[in-house]
Amino acid sequence: MSVVALSDSVADELRSILGSDYVLTNKSSLYNRARVPAPFPVHRWNEHIADIVVLPETAEQVSEIVKLANTHKIPVVPRAGGTGLADGAVPMTGGILVDIKRMNKILDIDLVDRTVTVQPGINMLKLNEELRRYGVIYPDDPASYPCSLVGGRIGTGGWSLIGARYGHTRDLVISMQVCLPTGELIEVGDGGGRKIRKSSTGFQLKQLFMGHQGSLGITTEATLELVSRPEAEFAAFFGYPDYETAYSSTGALAKSGLASLAGVVLFDEWKVDYLRRDDEAYIPQPPELRCVVAVAAYGSLAETKPASQVIMAIGKETGGNYLGDEVSQGDWAARHDRYATPLHGRTPEGQVVPMSWHCEDAAITYSALPMVREEWHAIAKRYIDDYGVFDDWGMFAYTNGAHKPWADYLVEIDIGIWEQRLDDTVWDAWVQCKREITEVSLKYGGSITACHGSTREGDAEFVPREMGGGFDVMKKIKRVLDPNNIMNPGKNRLDEAYED
Amino acid sequence: MFGFRLQTEQPPEPRPVADGVVMRLDDVYEIDPSKMQIVRQQNMPVSDSLRIVDSRWEHLVWMHDHWADSVLSAEEQEDSDE
Repeated sequence: MSVVALSDSVADELRSILGSDYVLTNKSSLYNRARVPAPFPVHRWNEHIADIVVLPETAEQVSEIVKLANTHKIPVVPRAGGTGLADGAVPMTGGILVDIKRMNKILDIDLVDRTVTVQPGINMLKLNEELRRYGVIYPDDPASYPCSLVGGRIGTGGWSLIGARYGHTRDLVISMQVCLPTGELIEVGDGGGRKIRKSSTGFQLKQLFMGHQGSLGITTEATLELVSRPEAEFAAFFGYPDYETAYSSTGALAKSGLASLAGVVLFDEWKVDYLRRDDEAYIPQPPELRCVVAVAAYGSLAETKPASQVIMAIGKETGGNYLGDEVSQGDWAARHDRYATPLHGRTPEGQVVPMSWHCEDAAITYSALPMVREEWHAIAKRYIDDYGVFDDWGMFAYTNGAHKPWADYLVEIDIGIWEQRLDDTVWDAWVQCKREITEVSLKYGGSITACHGSTREGDAEFVPREMGGGFDVMKKIKRVLDPNNIMNPGKNRLDEAYED
Repeated sequence: MFGFRLQTEQPPEPRPVADGVVMRLDDVYEIDPSKMQIVRQQNMPVSDSLRIVDSRWEHLVWMHDHWADSVLSAEEQEDSDE
């Protein structure tokens, strides 16, 4: 599996670092850590198996593991919750899979300077349960909130449902300790202070180690932002008879200037049709409801109550029909955990089948949303008609900028893929479909990915094009930090850094 | 034992409520069984169906409470405006 076969002596050295209980070689341990929820070539599962799984508990153990791997030039694949919707945590060339789930401790809670320092294997929901007694939260809120981990959020440069109000992962991590590909542990942040939010000292290294998909090292500790626990939450869902009205309303809500605004999301006609199939919030809706705009706000009561009145006024004045508290509050609460989506696939004949979930996550400006929507759905339809194993689950556009939600949007088209029918022909067709979708994003000046990362087939080959001259800088950085290309090789086209 | 429970807790016959959707228990939407020929719908005692529905509501209430001290209601706001 590994490019360089992992010898018995290396396995023994790993056991001496961790103890034999935390070095795993049995089939289920290896195969269960091969894939993520993103589309995966299940018919070639064997090609994505690590040679060995290790479960460190401390930063020092991670350092020892990586030093050993670097000495023997063995690939290292970091893995947190394994909930990613790109394949950053999927082994491409075997090697040592570093599962960080045992590194789940809270190391320090500082209520004076408002930080919490954690190991990377802690889950945000569990962290916030602990923080509640202090009246603070760590407001990083992905759709995988109950199951994703802080380390994975850093590795993917994660996006948060309430990022317009509180920022996304990169805004919420103040500093971190990183194990470099050579095994050295370093601190990165804004300048050198672990709890400093803004510094102009040196390079801004924190962002370099954010969203690198495990290709530049492993985060071993992180110091995170704490904010006051919200006194109030407000969610409002509005229905519209057509896309144009909903689109216009979305823009007005996003530009409202409300500081407590946490997010605005537009569901298009395909998304509403998809939800209408088997979602209790949408089945009873009248047929004239074609699009939905959802808005959420958080903060103190003094901020959020008047903001809720402004949101209701804008929603109605721009053509929205309020769908009621039950739908608004219930559906918003369900947004924190959307990983049941793959259970809702349909064949072209309408038969229920389990499907894997492709979640396109481009960043697109507001002005380009209508054109991208038309072109993406047309691409999806062609592949559905030709192959019969894909399903268009609709699109949404979600305010993307941290603290400035008025300009660009995280834009998803969700496409189901019937995995039981996957073979090389269907997989190749899927990748080609993915490439066509990506071409549209770039054509309109967008970015391939707002949150999942650009590691998938159909994305990765476009990274040099999107990054332009910046891709050469990426390759130089990769080669300097990781001279033996051991850290998650095969991702983001960074293997090209070693080709000359 | 399980068969005995199924017999005594058999849900009523499904009635269509929307295109491709049926209902056997109040407020419990189910996909039309005709659309589940590849993935078969499993038989489930009424008490289990209701337990799952209740758990779903408990989960949503828990999630609200997890994120904020209170949830503002647009309907109450509209009532007070009138």
